[in-house]
Amino acid sequence: MRGLLRALERVEAWVWVCLLLGVLLVGLVRVSMPRPVPGAALIEWATVTRLGGAPQEARRVKLPHVWDDEDPPWQGEARYEVSWPPGLAAQASPGAPLSVYFPRIGARYRVLLNGALVDAAYWETPGYVDTSVVPQVMNLPTHLLKPNPLDNRLVIEVRGQLLRKSGLSPFSVGPRDALESRFEHVYVWQVHAAWMVVACSTLVALLAGLIWRQSGERSFGFLAAASVAWAVRLGLSPLVHPPLSFELWFYLHKLSYSFYCGFIYLFLWDLFGHRGGRLRWLGISVLWIAPVWLAITTFSDNYNLYRIWTAWLAVVALTALSLMFHRARWGLDQNQRLLLVAGLVTVICGGRDFGVIQLGWRGDADLRWMPLGSLVFMLTLASVMVQRMGSYVLQIHQLNQELEHRVRDKEAELRAAFDRLREAERRQVLEDERRRLTRDMHDGLGSQLVQTLNLVRSNGPVDARVVTAMLHHALEELRMTLDSLEPLEGDLPAILGTLRRRIGPALDAAGVELDWQVEEVPPIEGLESRGVMQLFRCLQEVFANIVQHARARRVEVRTWHESGHVLLSVADDGVGLGAGFRDGGRGVSNIRVRAAAIGATVRFHDGLPGTRVEFRFRAAPQADTA
Amino acid sequence: MPTSIYLIEDDALVRDFVLRVIGQRPGWRLAGYSPTLTHARAHAAVAAADVYLVDLGLPDGRGEDLLRSLSRSNPGSELLVFSVFGDESRLIEAIEAGATGYVLKGCSGEELLAAIEQIRAGGAPISSLLARLLLKRLRSVQEAQVQAQQVSSDLELAVSAILSDRETQVLKLVAQGYVNKEIARKLDISTHTVSSHIKSLYNKLAVHSRVQVVRIAQARGLV
Repeated sequence: MRGLLRALERVEAWVWVCLLLGVLLVGLVRVSMPRPVPGAALIEWATVTRLGGAPQEARRVKLPHVWDDEDPPWQGEARYEVSWPPGLAAQASPGAPLSVYFPRIGARYRVLLNGALVDAAYWETPGYVDTSVVPQVMNLPTHLLKPNPLDNRLVIEVRGQLLRKSGLSPFSVGPRDALESRFEHVYVWQVHAAWMVVACSTLVALLAGLIWRQSGERSFGFLAAASVAWAVRLGLSPLVHPPLSFELWFYLHKLSYSFYCGFIYLFLWDLFGHRGGRLRWLGISVLWIAPVWLAITTFSDNYNLYRIWTAWLAVVALTALSLMFHRARWGLDQNQRLLLVAGLVTVICGGRDFGVIQLGWRGDADLRWMPLGSLVFMLTLASVMVQRMGSYVLQIHQLNQELEHRVRDKEAELRAAFDRLREAERRQVLEDERRRLTRDMHDGLGSQLVQTLNLVRSNGPVDARVVTAMLHHALEELRMTLDSLEPLEGDLPAILGTLRRRIGPALDAAGVELDWQVEEVPPIEGLESRGVMQLFRCLQEVFANIVQHARARRVEVRTWHESGHVLLSVADDGVGLGAGFRDGGRGVSNIRVRAAAIGATVRFHDGLPGTRVEFRFRAAPQADTA
Repeated sequence: MPTSIYLIEDDALVRDFVLRVIGQRPGWRLAGYSPTLTHARAHAAVAAADVYLVDLGLPDGRGEDLLRSLSRSNPGSELLVFSVFGDESRLIEAIEAGATGYVLKGCSGEELLAAIEQIRAGGAPISSLLARLLLKRLRSVQEAQVQAQQVSSDLELAVSAILSDRETQVLKLVAQGYVNKEIARKLDISTHTVSSHIKSLYNKLAVHSRVQVVRIAQARGLV
């Protein structure tokens, strides 16, 4: 059992649809087999006389009598006289109510029985009327009937409408119940079925249109347009008295059908992978030619022009179908097979209607297959669209997932690269710092210790005070290096305060008075520990000069802030730069190089008396919180 | 002023140096000596010395831990950190742990005596870097308290009292490199007042740090 189910699951959808549609066709054949109405007589011959100004000789015609087929086509009014069917008398029970049932009569008509008017359908109604679009039934009053049935004379007067194949089809006279039931049966097939298809088409048009607007997918647009056209076509078809002029009604009725065909071809072209270029050409040609051709047809009142047009549409339909079958040799997907099956069923329906109505094939001409066939086709199109939409959604989902994966991968890569970069930077910073510290240790502490060691090792007497002073100096060097590592954040007063602890005792010892005029100033841009050390060394050099060479008694250290710059000056009252000052001298050039390394400029002024060294730093941009 | 000193230091040379220096002052005596943190934990507090000289780098632990427990058990004693470099980042932690002053190893005997006398007289040593760090820490404590007070209004501590205007002025001037004498002249106060301001700031940082630690612990549900 389970195996059977699994086997059934493997059967593709188009096979199922094929089977279902086959059953539907068989059912249709069975339902629409020609069946005479029980007890009624079918009238197939009449004597017609034209009324009004036209030639008035009577003529016996075989029904259906189509005015547009006359040469020239008939207009105006005509009277059909029918002799009472002899069989009817025998079958109908005397006194039973009788009716006349016309499958197709129009555009307007009235019925007279034995010279008395039975009823008139839209005979005097102004505007455009066409009763032939729906079946008609009319009751014959019993009191008008003659006692001898063969004395009854039935007259039907018809007013025609050019281009509408006006005239009279074979009709039935017989028992009222049987004919009314027949009328209702056909009415359901022709009118209710049409309205049902209109509703379905409108729904499909709405959905396809919405999807088209959202997705911009062209095939949905084609489907929406085709569905609208088909809904208009079928909506206009069963209107006996539409609120339109005949010309407009006719034009819209035929144009909507043509547009339906044109858009369907475009849709098929799109669905069949754009390979059928000819399909596209056919669709576009129909869309462009139809409005012009049909306008000419409407205004020339020549039904033959419309015949040519329908023939052209038939050729196009057959070509499209053969193109699709031709395309099938390349292999078809599920949807294309499904559409081919549905298209074939629709063509069979259309062919059957044409054959039965026009060519006299066996079948009930009153029961048209086409509305049902078009419904099948429309629903198939809709299901194909739904499947296509579903596959898009799936594709988008898959693409999204793939994209997400790739974004995640790239993010991980980026993060790894960033981490590597940060690690490299960190190492670089560490390496730089290590080098700086090594250099400082080497130049400062190291050389100081080596000097002390050499002194202690020298053979001469070692003065403990000298050694103490040297070791003290070494310790001070080390402390200065450590100070430079403190988080000073470019705070110049704090840097100077720290330095003061180191140089203060030396100045005291040399008898130089320190005048501290340091003010709060904005932080200096980019002055980190390396820069602090450079600044320490610069100032060490400056103060060493003051202590050793300037013979100063007083030194003033001052800071201030001036238009985006922080300034520091060290001024003494000593001998001044004098003639011995060399701008490129070792001490001076050292100061300049170190100052340049921390982005500062340095100027030496002859203070008269004394010397003033001025450093100019760039202030860090201030936060706006102040 | 008779002064008892307790030394926590693992270096025997330094111990001898301290002993020698203390001997120079009549009435000063060494109340005890611990070469390790464990020994100090067991004996230092009981000795009830006036001044504790604490080396931060003990062989079996951090001197800061000892400072914390001593500041609690012996609130009347002065806790002097004995440091090789006087690197301010570490000193500020020691002050938070309860130290009231510091003295550099390698100083002369006179310097050590001066430091002990200064601290006994209610003063406190400071450097511009230390002042800068102190200012920063106290401000951040203050900000944290203001924020905490905005959240809950039932704080016992008056927030504005942490840093007075005068204390801020003193700290700023120290940070700018001014020495106590200059500050006293600038603010028209005595050098002694300057020192006591600084000492009270050390205490405040220690107290507020402790309060903050307790409060953080409470917030995390640890106490």
